[in-house]
Amino acid sequence: MTGQIELEAKNLNFYYSGNIHALKQVSFFAYKHNVTALIGPSGCGKTTLLRCFNRMHDLYPKNRYEGEIVFQGKNILSKDVDVINLRSRIGMVFQKPTPFPMTIFDNVAYGLKLKGINKRTELSERVEKALKNSAIWDEVKDKLNVSAYELSGGQQQRLVIARALAVEPEVLLFDEPTSALDPISTSKIEELLVQLKSKITIIIVTHNMQQAARISDFTGFVMLGELIEFDKTDKMFTAPSEKLTEEYITGRFG
Amino acid sequence: MIFSKKKNPVDLTFSFITGIASVSVILITAGILYVLFKESSLSIERFGFFKFLTLVDWDPVKESFGAAAALYGTLITTVLALIIAIPVAVGIAIYVTEVAPNFLKGPVGIAIELLAAIPSIIYGMWGLFTLSPIMAKYIEPFLQRTVGKLPLVGILFEGTPLGIDFLTASMILGIMIIPFTASISRDAFNLTPAVVKESAYAVGATKWEVVKDIVLPYSKLGVFGGVAISLGRALGETMAVAFVLGNNNQITTSLFGAAATVTVKLANEFTEADKDIYLSSLYYLALLLFVMSFIVLAIAKFLLLKAERRYSR
Amino acid sequence: MRRERLRVIQSHAAFVVSTLTALFGIFWLVFIIGDILIHGIGALNIDLFIKDPAPAGVEGGGLRNAFVGHLMITLFATLIGVPVGVLGGTFLAEYARGKKIARFISILSDIMVSVPAIVVGTFVYAIIVKPLGHFSGWAGAVALAIIMIPVVLRTTEDMLSLVSWTVREAAFALGAPYYKVILQVVYRGAATGILTGILLSIARVTGEAAPLLFTSFNNSFFSTNMNEPIASLTVSIFQYAMGPYDSWHAQAWAAALMITVFILIITVLGRLIIKWRYKK
Repeated sequence: MTGQIELEAKNLNFYYSGNIHALKQVSFFAYKHNVTALIGPSGCGKTTLLRCFNRMHDLYPKNRYEGEIVFQGKNILSKDVDVINLRSRIGMVFQKPTPFPMTIFDNVAYGLKLKGINKRTELSERVEKALKNSAIWDEVKDKLNVSAYELSGGQQQRLVIARALAVEPEVLLFDEPTSALDPISTSKIEELLVQLKSKITIIIVTHNMQQAARISDFTGFVMLGELIEFDKTDKMFTAPSEKLTEEYITGRFG
Repeated sequence: MIFSKKKNPVDLTFSFITGIASVSVILITAGILYVLFKESSLSIERFGFFKFLTLVDWDPVKESFGAAAALYGTLITTVLALIIAIPVAVGIAIYVTEVAPNFLKGPVGIAIELLAAIPSIIYGMWGLFTLSPIMAKYIEPFLQRTVGKLPLVGILFEGTPLGIDFLTASMILGIMIIPFTASISRDAFNLTPAVVKESAYAVGATKWEVVKDIVLPYSKLGVFGGVAISLGRALGETMAVAFVLGNNNQITTSLFGAAATVTVKLANEFTEADKDIYLSSLYYLALLLFVMSFIVLAIAKFLLLKAERRYSR
Repeated sequence: MRRERLRVIQSHAAFVVSTLTALFGIFWLVFIIGDILIHGIGALNIDLFIKDPAPAGVEGGGLRNAFVGHLMITLFATLIGVPVGVLGGTFLAEYARGKKIARFISILSDIMVSVPAIVVGTFVYAIIVKPLGHFSGWAGAVALAIIMIPVVLRTTEDMLSLVSWTVREAAFALGAPYYKVILQVVYRGAATGILTGILLSIARVTGEAAPLLFTSFNNSFFSTNMNEPIASLTVSIFQYAMGPYDSWHAQAWAAALMITVFILIITVLGRLIIKWRYKK
């Protein structure tokens, strides 16, 4: 189950504008084609860490990284990295569904069009493939030209996953993707994530420990900006080595 | 009131007084409509609706009055002003929301609000004293020498450039509505949730692509609403154009021609109207203006409400 | 990779254009304010405030009558418009909260805020000036009040709605009748906001000229009689700027400067208060 390392943070520090030290000396890695979960109490920095991997923090001024994140042998925090290209290889799905104000088809085709793919046949093929891969094709195949807002919340979230998959990223980052959804939609998306890992590497932030235990291969426990423990999920939830982890998992705080 | 079954008498009185006060808005609106209608009835009887709309004449001696020239003037100045203002206003809104460095966002935003607070009479007076001579001396002769020589569009630039004309008036009106339109567009842009923008970045969009594909479509309704309010205001604007349009009752194709708008006519002639039919015809103009701008503003409000409702989900 | 370069360049180009449009807009606006400042300050002198207009064409004189007249018209407009606006807004946010009628009046007010001011002038001419047979300061004040009412009403409604419902419930729980809750609790919570709204609405009507043209008209003599035509700064600006004399033009610039400065100060003050009160 282990294997090649896809993404690795080395001594990563992160500062929000105003010099707020949000991540402290985090060293963390994600194996290729595995699901890695990040858990921890709210405000602990798990989302902040996730957003480092596709440099989302660059969108806001005065945020600052220190240390390294190595992706396929290259430090993606270095200045000469093309962030636009990086983000099409490391995609992201957010807490709330974020359909764009366009049709279902155009939502999924959006990233492809940005890459210069304009042929209708190729677009159709890849949109269909992405929608199938995110297990929503059957529900939307008859209404591809309908506004994405017409879909239910759970469907929207799977559409957004399809949109992220369409550009064929190597890694997908999920920021609490089910916290705004009902239990049925949640289980659909969990199933989907497990299926997807044969093709891509997944890192998921979740506040739901059962979810982490159900779907992830590895788990990192983050608290107050530090990575307290990182291990195989089975081990983490049965025999954590850190006392803090144990207390968190058993629900003594958080 | 769900809190008390028996109403306190003071409460009853207070609610009554406040109720009357709020109904005053309805009374004023209805009152304006009724009074304008009544005052213009003489003219309505004499000229009817379609004849009044299409008659170019405005002759107090022959007692022949038509709205065509004034409506034409209102329409042209408003449309030209919007053509000038909308691109600039949207550009400013994009600049303030997406481009400006953080330390500039606040100040530029405040500057826009302040400029929107400057009264129209100031813009009008400045237009008369400063812009109009510049237009007459430099810009209009230049336009005549260059684009004026082209076939077809040439008729837009005929006549002696005096600076008291459509072009100058529309520019002032345009400049005046820029801050307001920009401020509403900015508010509309800001309704786009950050996380939707982020997910566009997350599939590899550039900043401009995010603005073009996400922010603009997302805020379309709000921007349309803002433009519609600006349109409504421009239709009814008096003082910004009164100084530099010349109040000349004619329909001219040249941007260098003096003209009149409904508002300019009212401002210049209302107190001079010596005959009942003259005054009544002016009221008829006011009625048309009121109805027009009311409809435009109502549409604007409708668009803005729809925009708000869609994004508050 | 080349395509991505192109997209990034396109993105930068678009933002350069946006910056240029912003500069274009700001250029005109700086031009206008600068012009008003330069000409206005150049034309300021003490006579402007303490002398009445000289006969047409004669040098000297001032606009004392217009300053006083403007002040009086605005003052009475405020005295009429503000109570109606505040009470009306109270009805919408309290007694009629959530009812259809409140929503209707609220939307109607939003529309009336932007309705042509000159039409209001013609309306007041018909209901006050014509029946009385002469222009008057009162007519001008009523015209401005009509413009003020929807503005104040909407601000009041918004500000009262910002006061959280639990505050009212807490007061009800003590057995207070609704009017007491409104007067003693809700108004107190919204006072700063409402006051700011009133300030901004005063700034708004101070610059109006169109509704005064056929109501308070103009008067070249000093008068404080609201039953007579009364001079105002804005109407004086219109008349003087369109007039043939250089001394008139200078006085128009000076008056324009005074109005602009007054409005800008009030607007800045209003914004500061809002920022201080609501953005903590």
